Amino acid sequence: MGQRRRVAAVNNLSSQHISGSPAEVVGDSSRKHNICMVSDFFYPNMGGVESHIYQLSQCLIEKGHKVVIATHAYGRRKGIRYLTNGLKVYYLPLQVMYNQSTATTCFHSLPLLRCVFVRERITVVHAHSSFSAMAHDALFHAKTMGLNTVFTDHSLFGFADVSSVLTNKLLTVSLCDTNHIVCVSYTSKENTVLRAVLNPEIVSVIPNAVDPTDFTPDPSQRPNDRITIVVISRLVYRKGIDLLGGIIPELCLKHPDLHFLIGGEGPKRIVLEEVREKYQLHDRVRLLGALEHKDVRGVLVQGHIFLNTSLTEAFCMAIVEGASCGLQVVSTRVGGIPEVLPDDLITLCEPTVRSLCAGLEEVIARQRSGSVSSPASIHARVQKLYTWRNVAERTEKVYDRVAGEEVLPLDRRLRRLRSHCGPVAGSIFAFVAVIDFLFLLLLQWLLPDRVMDVAVDATGPHGQWRQDTSKTRSHSKCAMKQAAKTEMFL
Amino acid sequence: MGPDSAPGPAVPWQKVLWEHQPFPDNYVDERFLEELRRNVGIRQYQYWAVVKEAGFVGQQLSCVAIFITLWLYMEQGLLPPELLLLTSLVCALLGYGLHQALKSQVESSCEPRTYMADLQSASIFLSFTFGFSPVLKTLTESVSTDTVYAMSAVMLLAHLVAFPYAQPSPPGSLSLNAALFASVCLASRLPGALHTFTMLSCALLVFALWPCLLKRLRANAPRQFTGVCVGVCLGGVGGLGSQSPAGAVLLALALGGVTLLCPLLLVRLQRHKDNIHGPWDEAEIHEDISRFLQ
Repeated sequence: MGQRRRVAAVNNLSSQHISGSPAEVVGDSSRKHNICMVSDFFYPNMGGVESHIYQLSQCLIEKGHKVVIATHAYGRRKGIRYLTNGLKVYYLPLQVMYNQSTATTCFHSLPLLRCVFVRERITVVHAHSSFSAMAHDALFHAKTMGLNTVFTDHSLFGFADVSSVLTNKLLTVSLCDTNHIVCVSYTSKENTVLRAVLNPEIVSVIPNAVDPTDFTPDPSQRPNDRITIVVISRLVYRKGIDLLGGIIPELCLKHPDLHFLIGGEGPKRIVLEEVREKYQLHDRVRLLGALEHKDVRGVLVQGHIFLNTSLTEAFCMAIVEGASCGLQVVSTRVGGIPEVLPDDLITLCEPTVRSLCAGLEEVIARQRSGSVSSPASIHARVQKLYTWRNVAERTEKVYDRVAGEEVLPLDRRLRRLRSHCGPVAGSIFAFVAVIDFLFLLLLQWLLPDRVMDVAVDATGPHGQWRQDTSKTRSHSKCAMKQAAKTEMFL
Repeated sequence: MGPDSAPGPAVPWQKVLWEHQPFPDNYVDERFLEELRRNVGIRQYQYWAVVKEAGFVGQQLSCVAIFITLWLYMEQGLLPPELLLLTSLVCALLGYGLHQALKSQVESSCEPRTYMADLQSASIFLSFTFGFSPVLKTLTESVSTDTVYAMSAVMLLAHLVAFPYAQPSPPGSLSLNAALFASVCLASRLPGALHTFTMLSCALLVFALWPCLLKRLRANAPRQFTGVCVGVCLGGVGGLGSQSPAGAVLLALALGGVTLLCPLLLVRLQRHKDNIHGPWDEAEIHEDISRFLQ
């Protein structure tokens, strides 16, 4: 019933907006923003979200924006760190609860985040990943403080079980007054719009990207006497490792020259080890364990075919990386994967052992007959498809649009929460929003914004980070030292 | 393309990311959500079919009531243990015979357990229970009676909750253990060691062997199965009625609720069901992957 209402609401919103008001005036494109990226997931953690935040930040810095990143402390990595090109990262001392996601009470992160937002003169808060509690906290506080908000959703979610019902409700609350949402594929957009009951007009689709210079083909690394299938993925259920465990014996029995090269670690490794043991495939199935990002290319170029067996995927950077290294890509047809690569670069299969085996057989046959395009030509095609510069340009336009929008004042925010999130959850979170606002007033009374030091800009229009001449470097070094001194408070 | 740039030309929009299309990033096409599916593979329930299935739950509830009734009779000395023991033996033999008869119809292909093996496990069980019954009798002497009753009640509830009503298998280990725990607690409050032994044998009969027989009955003779369920329910209500009329009324209400009202609710609420599916759903693995490891 709730879901019917949900779909109806979404349809209504979309039809209203398509027929209704024309596109509003986009803000001045030369305008520079002070952006704070917030997510629980950042280096030293590795993954799609982490590299997305890093690469996007670097490209935005290149375009002259000021970017800082806020994440939680990882072990002894806490306080402020500077990365390449003066990208400042705040590792805030917040308690981690589960899977690198912080615990949330809705309030306790406000003092720290307020410090960051005020000292850095942030204008746009950009939160990443719906699994990150810190991202949702930051959105909540940013709205209380009257800042513009953008959210990027990197994952897909179902509707059927209790946990997704709960998380979808929380997402509805979190996104109902967020200015703009970014999704990484059209499927992801449909999913997010349904989950959070959003107007689809405020959801943009901006795909992920890969750095094509990192993933170049090198056919000389391939042994000629065999065909190698490469799999690089975390070895977990959602990545379909059970399917892989079925594919390996089927194909290895048929093709004596077939080898598997599997990179990644996880709880499903035991499945692969059992298969290898049972069928005596130790010399043909190599499990490489966890790979560092820089080693991935070295593994990819050794293979002819890249196999992805995921059961759900919003975008799937791995297949783009595989194709960029000139491999034939075979993948399951799930989530946003069919949108990512053109049909002649990918073989899509149903998520069953039989279908995947059939797809692989077909590609193996093509490989043997030599009727596949050369790695270099595949690379040439893929390298232009997804670039971080393009992602940054499109994200910049989102910021320009958002900067021109108003942030809902408290009374309208409360009304929106109650009308949009249902009477119970809406009222509860309206109450939480009021408490958050009062807490902010208390903090502002204890330590007014005007007495707070302004942080030294490393990036942005007045960025102090210079590496061209020795003179400016020493100058900027001084500035950095000073900055580091003033920022020891964390 | 950023959000809200110039409106797109007459090129049709494609749901692909690899091509740079002349549409803004927040463009919403008519095909938006076209792959949305509602209520895929939904099951339509028939009221009386659901009632029949729910009867199984009702009879398990009655089984517990019958067991408690027997215990009440034993505790008050109205039922001599020898009589109950004899009845149990007869019931067990009859049930065993029926079990064997039903088995021969279907599962002749897989290796059957021999009579010898059955006899062996039965005698091991009985001799151990008999040997330990004096110990079990004094097991909870130092615990207050209220605690023992409360514990038994909780454990019998756990038995009912954890009982595997759906899959055709012998009672799950949690539900069986909970029931036996409760019976040990209750049996230890009886006047003599023979009483305890009788009660425990009876518990094995009701909680361990009876469900096995019932499962087989359900698979092989569905019509008789319904009759048996009704019979057990009536027996439970009647038995409890002879000891505590209020309890019998409560049991009858619970049975009515479980077997008649709940199915009605399920069937009625079914039309409100609105499940949405789409390409974002996690794919399920339907094949039996473990066959590669056998």
